[in-house]
Amino acid sequence: MLKLLRLEYLFNLRQLLIMWAILSVYFCYVVARLNSPGVFIVTTSLMVGLAIPFAVVGREDKFKTAALVCSLPVRRSTVVLGKFAATWAVIILGLGYTLLLAALLPFSKVPLAGVLSARNLLVSLFLVSVLFAVILPFTIRFGLTGIIILLVSLQLLGILALILARIFGGARNLVRIFFGAVEGGLRSLLHHQATPGYVLSLAAAIIAVNLLAILVSWALYARRDL
Amino acid sequence: MTNAIEINGLRKEYKGFTLEDVTFDVPQGYIMGLIGPNGAGKTTIIKLIMNLIRRDAGEVRVFGLDSRHHEPEIKSRIGFVYDVPRFPEDLRLRTIASALSAFYARWDDRRFRALLDEFQLSPRQVFKKLSHGMKMKFSLALALAHDADLILMDEPTAGLDPVFRFELLTKLRALIQDERKSVLFSSHITSDLERVADFVTFIHQGRIIFSAAKDEILESWGVVRAATDGLQPGDVPGARGFRRTEHTLEVLTADLDAARRSALPGAVFDKASLEDIMFFISKGNAHA
Repeated sequence: MLKLLRLEYLFNLRQLLIMWAILSVYFCYVVARLNSPGVFIVTTSLMVGLAIPFAVVGREDKFKTAALVCSLPVRRSTVVLGKFAATWAVIILGLGYTLLLAALLPFSKVPLAGVLSARNLLVSLFLVSVLFAVILPFTIRFGLTGIIILLVSLQLLGILALILARIFGGARNLVRIFFGAVEGGLRSLLHHQATPGYVLSLAAAIIAVNLLAILVSWALYARRDL
Repeated sequence: MTNAIEINGLRKEYKGFTLEDVTFDVPQGYIMGLIGPNGAGKTTIIKLIMNLIRRDAGEVRVFGLDSRHHEPEIKSRIGFVYDVPRFPEDLRLRTIASALSAFYARWDDRRFRALLDEFQLSPRQVFKKLSHGMKMKFSLALALAHDADLILMDEPTAGLDPVFRFELLTKLRALIQDERKSVLFSSHITSDLERVADFVTFIHQGRIIFSAAKDEILESWGVVRAATDGLQPGDVPGARGFRRTEHTLEVLTADLDAARRSALPGAVFDKASLEDIMFFISKGNAHA
């Protein structure tokens, strides 16, 4: 496992440095504009959770090195775990880095005390997990094309939903209900009282989502012909 | 004789192509050439041995172990060279080697550096700046640096200049001198196999045509030539394919001795080269 982590690090270092530079610029802008801890958490989690898996796992697809990794003396299940662990390690570093920017930059408007709570950090990890849980199996099975197909499909679905909403109109159309539910869900996640039960439930949900993502990825990768 | 690889009843189905009932062994300490025209199934067999694709049926045993159940143990003893080397293009050779070396307990860094020197490569070179031949050399250096007991190579000589092809084949010949190491390499360049292979497995349209010692093949297979009006393909014992021109009929036989004994009128008998065999079976009119 450690060998795979090292391999991922050596193979992806350059790409991660490029990503780090882009994210630095983006987050400098974000921390100068946002003063709501909730919006900061959601924005950061979505950006880091989307960009880093895309960079790490997608690069393998670009150079078609999956066959190389699978020809090494490791099981495919270990390869999946290695990718998973490597990507999570970078995500944690990415989240930590954005917090550092929010804390250290003199023009930062992000109220760090509001961000640095167990509840908010767990919500952030939960959002990243959900995003990652969708992206990882797709990438592992279908490569970069898989992510692109997924994102384009979601875009098309969104456009279709908007058209339908416009045609059928009204305040209670499906699109409004869906986005209202997402917004309400995020609000309740971020504003729920941080009781021990709630924090434990969030931690359990994070573990469950990640376990599910690993199990699905194992099953898909075992069936992948290289 | 101990076998490095034992393949039994292997099957893999793709849309429009099926690898069917592939059975052959690679004896330990020898070079086995896997020969066949493009699209015959050579790469599929090598990928199945490496578990890069899933088999639909059959068994692959490497060093006596099931290739699926003992995957890490087996792969730690294999040096694998792809037809098109796939490494992160923007990395230096030393970085790639550093990432991969950790997986092999018998990795010898001094040997790797010596091989790079021998192949006139620098560890500081970036992979994407290498020519195809240099990329193959680098792949070979990686495969040889961990003292592998089995070298698997998929079309290693394709696209290489004659000088390096000769060097590569000489290196393979030297590699098996300790009688412990074995080589399986696929190629459609028959002269390469004639030069170094001890055994040859011929595959055509997903089926094994024969798998035997090269000397035995070159001894027993032949081409019978005669005027078209004096000979029919069916008259030649062991006929496996034929080619008819305006005035001559050429018949490939798997039993040259029997063909000679059958007193065919006006026939000329020649030993068949691997190229003859590949041509007649893949392009000639197959004879039932």
